[in-house]
Amino acid sequence: MKAMPTLEGGLRIDTENFNDWGILRSIVVDANDATTHDLASRMGALLSEEAGGEDWQEYIVPDLREGFHDELAQVGAAIESAIHIADSGPGPIWINRDEVFPWYSALNQARLALEERYHFGPAETISLEGNDPVRRSAFMRSKFYCAIQCLLLDHVMGPSKAPQ
Amino acid sequence: MSDTDTLIQTEEVTSLDVPWNVVVNDDPVNLMGYVTFVLTKVFGYDEKKASILMIQVHRQGRSIVWTGEREKAEFYVQQLQGHQLKTTLEKSQ
Repeated sequence: MKAMPTLEGGLRIDTENFNDWGILRSIVVDANDATTHDLASRMGALLSEEAGGEDWQEYIVPDLREGFHDELAQVGAAIESAIHIADSGPGPIWINRDEVFPWYSALNQARLALEERYHFGPAETISLEGNDPVRRSAFMRSKFYCAIQCLLLDHVMGPSKAPQ
Repeated sequence: MSDTDTLIQTEEVTSLDVPWNVVVNDDPVNLMGYVTFVLTKVFGYDEKKASILMIQVHRQGRSIVWTGEREKAEFYVQQLQGHQLKTTLEKSQ
């Protein structure tokens, strides 16, 4: 898989085979990990009783949940559409500037869910020695998502560098 | 006819509203550049101020990114949580 900035200020990801599409599909799968509490609930749990945590759970968390879900759905649909167009073979997927926030959010949701499940910790302290293959694979996906996020931050989310 | 009357007394107490802090906590996932980006976007801070607050989050584990009236603080917490930053609300000391 290759990723590169486009002249229009977006990002293009070229998949080389069906497995690459599987890795992109795993963004949504990881973000929706049912073995952990969903992200909106975890955010809601951060507020103390004094800060109105109970009301937050009732009134704000559903909105957060809907927002996160919509962003994931948008990215999932874009990936499935690209797979369909490529007929499951090698092909590109574009992340345009106006679609960058759902993409960044989906990648972040996936990384937050992986962190919640596997507790990798800060980058400088991670050790994969003796880890089982499932955890190692999760770590590699997290690194991949992070690499795409860095590209989005550096090339897409800042001020437009596209030629006028 | 009743031999007793009920006397209703009301008392008004006024006190200063306590300011609330919007606190961003460190986590191992959110990228430093993203935290700066979000602080710029949500509060309109310039890049320098947003970077200082981000560094505080990274080095001290937390940073008070805004202080003020509760309603507005809640709005900011919602915005920051919507951007997936680990944000809490606390009474200012």
